[in-house]
Amino acid sequence: MLQVKQLKKAFDGFQAIADANLSVPKGEVVAVIGPNGAGKSTLFNLITGHLQADSGHIQFQSQEITNLPPYKICHKGMARSFQLINIFSSLTVFENVQTSVLAQQRLDRNFFTPSRRLLIDETLEVLEIFGLLELKDRPCKSLSYGDQKVLEIAIALGSKPKLLLLDEPTAGMSSEETRKIVTLIKKLSQEKGLTILITEHDMELVFDVAQKIMVLHQGTTIAQGLPEDIRNDKSVQNAYLGEAG
Amino acid sequence: MSANNLKSMKSPKKLSTYLGWAFAVAGVLILLVAPTILTQYYVYLLATVFTTALLASSLNLVLGNGGLLHLHHGVFFGVGAYTVAIVMTKTSWPFAVAILLAPMVASLIALVIGWFCVRLRGLYFGMLTLALGQLVWAIVYRWNALTNGDNGIHAIPVPESLSSINSVYYTTLLVLIISLIILYMITKSPFGITLLATRDNPVRSESIGINVKSHRLIAFVIAGFFAGIAGVLFVLVERSVAPSLLFWNKSAEILIMCLMGGLTVFMGPTLGAGILVLLSMIVGLYTEYWLLVLGLLLLILVLFLPQGILGYLMESYDKRRSMRGEN
Amino acid sequence: MDFATLASQFFIGLSRGMIFFIVSAGLTLIFGVLRITNFAHGALYMLGAFIAYSVSTLVGQGPYGFWLALLVAPVTVMLVSLVIERGLLRFIYNRDHLIQMLLTYSLVLIAGDLVKILWGTEFKSMDIPAVLRGSFNLWGASLPWYNAFLLIVGPVVALGLWLFLSKTHLGKICRATATDREMVDVLGINSTRVFAMVFALGGWLAGLGGALIAPTTSISMGMDASIVIYAFLIVVIGGLGNVWGALISSIIMGVGEALGILFIPGIAIIIPYIIAGVLLIVRPTGLLKSAW
Repeated sequence: MLQVKQLKKAFDGFQAIADANLSVPKGEVVAVIGPNGAGKSTLFNLITGHLQADSGHIQFQSQEITNLPPYKICHKGMARSFQLINIFSSLTVFENVQTSVLAQQRLDRNFFTPSRRLLIDETLEVLEIFGLLELKDRPCKSLSYGDQKVLEIAIALGSKPKLLLLDEPTAGMSSEETRKIVTLIKKLSQEKGLTILITEHDMELVFDVAQKIMVLHQGTTIAQGLPEDIRNDKSVQNAYLGEAG
Repeated sequence: MSANNLKSMKSPKKLSTYLGWAFAVAGVLILLVAPTILTQYYVYLLATVFTTALLASSLNLVLGNGGLLHLHHGVFFGVGAYTVAIVMTKTSWPFAVAILLAPMVASLIALVIGWFCVRLRGLYFGMLTLALGQLVWAIVYRWNALTNGDNGIHAIPVPESLSSINSVYYTTLLVLIISLIILYMITKSPFGITLLATRDNPVRSESIGINVKSHRLIAFVIAGFFAGIAGVLFVLVERSVAPSLLFWNKSAEILIMCLMGGLTVFMGPTLGAGILVLLSMIVGLYTEYWLLVLGLLLLILVLFLPQGILGYLMESYDKRRSMRGEN
Repeated sequence: MDFATLASQFFIGLSRGMIFFIVSAGLTLIFGVLRITNFAHGALYMLGAFIAYSVSTLVGQGPYGFWLALLVAPVTVMLVSLVIERGLLRFIYNRDHLIQMLLTYSLVLIAGDLVKILWGTEFKSMDIPAVLRGSFNLWGASLPWYNAFLLIVGPVVALGLWLFLSKTHLGKICRATATDREMVDVLGINSTRVFAMVFALGGWLAGLGGALIAPTTSISMGMDASIVIYAFLIVVIGGLGNVWGALISSIIMGVGEALGILFIPGIAIIIPYIIAGVLLIVRPTGLLKSAW
């Protein structure tokens, strides 16, 4: 579904992404892992168009999407959540998700239908999946950190994506909240049939949910394959041990 | 949960919404009978309030709802006013053409200026609106053949039916009400909600499929359009135009109105415009130092009431309500 | 158009650019360090001009009047700035741009009327000191000595600022703050003091600009309105917070305006805005690296 080939990106001479390669098959949960500063977030930002690649190719559903602006990429069926909470702070929980649904349906340029009447059910459905129905009329600022992280993902799902990118979905969460996210990811993958690409620190979580893993080290893909193969891969062990030592 | 259950989860309308409508209707009723009891001068003053209120409300679409540091909105107002003035004095076209052309020219200028500005963010956006706006001012100031330069254009003819101050009053009031309703609908429409989203978080907006730049540009052009209409009203009230309409400190005044009423409340700019216009008249009766008073007022506002008068009232209303809810 | 006219106009533009630089250097420093958009900068400049007028009038427009004014006016404006910073600005450092802008704009309004109360509404004028009167001949062009004087003062101020920014402790802090806000907090620098000093320095520069322009123009209310817009544009074009960017764009603006008067006098007034507009469109974040 998603192909990344020989992607490169440098900032002021620092090669953040040197040679990233990735293939995400339809319907699978794929994880990108790597030591701190390996370039995982940069890779995500390149894929979703928030950064411009220096060279290389990104193909989504066999279409070239390299360096398209983020909003176009989103309309092709790819949505993402962010590592840091990135929500619409003055809107209610409901409106946060509704905005996303409206944009997906290309109703964001509708001027004269009160938005109170538009896409209510679609929005409520998303909120229900994430267990946010009770909180829907709360200003999103008033939510707990954990709930805001959940809303963060809910907004992404409002875009009805075929491919969902989750950037560190459990960063800063308690173990209980993390379990909730794991359940959610499995639910989205199994019940909704979503293809998911995830970066995550929590290795337990990664090996729990991922069907395929790509390892990024100093901006370069050093391994890609089934979880058990990755576990036994020498270069991967070196990369992680190298960081520890 | 079934679809039916989901339907029952729809949000109830807030009491404050009804309260707002009640205030609005009462206000309009009072304003409808006002000319029968007020002297001509006050009727004229209220017509000025209506004009300014429309101008400030149009700015707030970009400033408050869009979160864009638009520092030179007066330009579109001035362009609208000048369009009417020029059509009525330099051509033999009918008045209807003038009033149709004015908002269109204003929004065209807004499109051009906005096209450049939406590429920039924050302060840079603001500075470019200032630079390009001043450019338009300088052109108006210098283009003697078309605009009469710094003399301005005076004694602009208007149709017979709009010659009495009462008819001007009702016209400006009607136009203000219709425009406010349209602007209100826009802020509550998907476009309006999306605009709030681009204000809160442009990066996230892009990633959920919103073309932030063009969304902002559209808001900018709409604001320019309504500022142009306000410009038409200005000509009806004053019958003259001068380049000072487009100078940057005029735009600063509009910003103050928005802030005074409250950027986050729809009727805030209208209230701010009303207060400032009436206050400048009252203060003017006692002293020539209106700007000093305005400066001190602004200082107090910025330091102690940055959310504006209506913003403050809404906040304390919400607070009281939520406290009652908890008890 | 002969070469002499062109040269003298270029020269005049260059010296006007020096005034622009002195004023906008203060503005850009304040921008970079305090993150404040100071609309009152023009008012401080105007205040500098009026104080210079008063000082030189008090000592009887004599030979020392100008030099004394040049000393007293900037220092007085600096003290006023200090009061403004301690009394008002420090309460709004965490607010958004609009609030900060409008606070400084309230000072513009207040200062305008205070000047009216203190100095009246009629235009004031101040003599150029005897040694700088008249003009000299350069390649057949007649050039006023006073403009030559400005051309010396400008680089001296620039040199002073360079020494300050690169050699002094406070200057280094200024640069660090301008490029990386958190740095200062991390280093545990007393940013309150830094802010106050930088704002005072900015005020001093504005006052100096006002005092320098005073003998060449009619000193009047409203002289703040156009300079502050010019200064803002210069600062933005140069790259917010970048003093050298301000120098470059000041020269571009000054010379551009002067040559505009020569070649297309009808629209000379709009030339700075065109320059600013074009530069902002071509290089949206300024000519030199912005501190932001």
